Amino acid sequence: MAAPSREERAWVRGAQSGSASALEALFREHWPRAHRAAYLVVQDGAAAEDIAQEAFLAAVRNLDRFDRRRPFGPWLHRIVVNRAIDWARARALRREAGEPLFGEWDGDTEDNVSLGNPIPEDIAGGLRSLSPEHRAVVVLRYLLDYTPGEIAELLDLPRGTVNSRLRRGLDHLEEIIDRRRP
Amino acid sequence: MSKERKGLKRELQQLSPPDELEAQRRVWPVVRGAFEGREPVSWHRRNVRPLALAAAAVVVGAAALSAPGRAFVGDVRDAIGEDAPAPKPKRVLASLPTGGTLLVNSPRGPWIVQPDGSRRLLGRYWEGSWSPRAQHVIVTRAREITAVKPNGVIRWTIGRPRRITGARWSPDGFRVAYLTGTELRVVAGDGTGDKVLRNRVATTPPAWRPGANHQLVFGTVDGQIALAQTDTGVTRWRAPVGEAARQLVWSEDGQRLLALGERYLRIFDAKGTELGVLGLPLGPSGAAFVRKSHRFVLIRWQPATGRSELVLMDAESERGEERSLFSAAGEFETLAVSPNGRWLLVGWVGADQWLFLRLDALRVRAVSNIAEQFGGPRRDRPLSAHFPSSVSWCCPASP
Repeated sequence: MAAPSREERAWVRGAQSGSASALEALFREHWPRAHRAAYLVVQDGAAAEDIAQEAFLAAVRNLDRFDRRRPFGPWLHRIVVNRAIDWARARALRREAGEPLFGEWDGDTEDNVSLGNPIPEDIAGGLRSLSPEHRAVVVLRYLLDYTPGEIAELLDLPRGTVNSRLRRGLDHLEEIIDRRRP
Repeated sequence: MSKERKGLKRELQQLSPPDELEAQRRVWPVVRGAFEGREPVSWHRRNVRPLALAAAAVVVGAAALSAPGRAFVGDVRDAIGEDAPAPKPKRVLASLPTGGTLLVNSPRGPWIVQPDGSRRLLGRYWEGSWSPRAQHVIVTRAREITAVKPNGVIRWTIGRPRRITGARWSPDGFRVAYLTGTELRVVAGDGTGDKVLRNRVATTPPAWRPGANHQLVFGTVDGQIALAQTDTGVTRWRAPVGEAARQLVWSEDGQRLLALGERYLRIFDAKGTELGVLGLPLGPSGAAFVRKSHRFVLIRWQPATGRSELVLMDAESERGEERSLFSAAGEFETLAVSPNGRWLLVGWVGADQWLFLRLDALRVRAVSNIAEQFGGPRRDRPLSAHFPSSVSWCCPASP
């Protein structure tokens, strides 16, 4: 993973020394992507806000232990994405009535991508029809720009599992893009 | 990157959470408050302490390799506790602290655990629930609901076109309620007379009112809970709860009802009058009544500290003083009260432990390795995916 910029190292150092303005700079830099990543995985605005907020609170609690030679983003994104996966899985188990049936994930198989379900027409629907684990790797790769190796490290997964989830997730989403193409 | 993938990236980047800027404005003061409330650590403490600890660890590690050293380390750990009063956990569930039988819903299926710790996997079912005297278990899997004996023998099965969840046996054993799609259905205990009770219900598992003649409370898709007499179909009352409840829990005498949502706990009496409401942070929660009482234990998540707390409260309009029973870092998710009412089982997901709390004497026993014992090898999934989702402890004597 890329080394942190000089500016980011200064913000982390400032925050560790008690500077609220340094923390605010870190927050403004990292909040939008953390919030958006949580939203794309959980597909629920209120939950995404709570998850991203909790990730920042966890970061604040552990700020003194943070090694400022390392980039702040991956540290935060690991917390966000893992919490979002846990939340989405719990939500799938108590799915509210009236929600679309596609996207229901029974957790039976590692690579369940709701095969056989109707394919929705937009990317948001396409994401929803993936399992939370598949959504997470797609979001880490294509929203947050991590390499498959970095994703494997962030999620504590074998590299092959990341590649397989990416491939299946992307095949599914690209089918939607293809279908819309004139 | 291929053209298609660039297109995908662009589309993903255009999907934004609703209220994005407002969310940022709401959250920053919370983060800043937590930052200002923490104790800043000086450079000296931040950098010198880890070095000193590392050096000490080498010395202690060497000492601990000797037999007297191991005993000393054990004594210190027992005396201090990592998160008082959490005890040193046992690695295997070798026995239950008191009588009764557990029904454990795990990712591998429902397990039955006897007081001596012996356990049996009922089969590849998704969820199970006791009959009132533990002579049967009602289990569900995909689009089937099945009554099985604890030895695994199947008594009856019903198939429906849509997924079945939330099956619950009535306290007298003569009815079973279950959810399928958006229908709430009721069937006789012998598997006959299956019929729809209501349409457009929420996915909240229904709850039979104890001591009443086939009265069932359930959630509706329009944000209410309702109590119906299942034999006549008559609705006795409805009450608004807002977002759908996750859990409905009756007190043993059927006079108090808890409706637990993602962000609230509402307390009702038997007539559907709301006695109180408590706001909760989004996170793990659960509630269980203490036996022969209107007092209940609530799991309360504390997002600012990342801790869970067990709190004892009164289900009355005047809730009285809360009593904190236990608190620890991480998430609690499961509560089950023993048949004699003296022990409370708590699932401590982050620590991969079950805690058995003695309610009348503040004693705690802990068993670790729960995910592996009930969920199988972890492979690459998170711990929470292997940890049992619910436990019930059968069977209390009739009130």
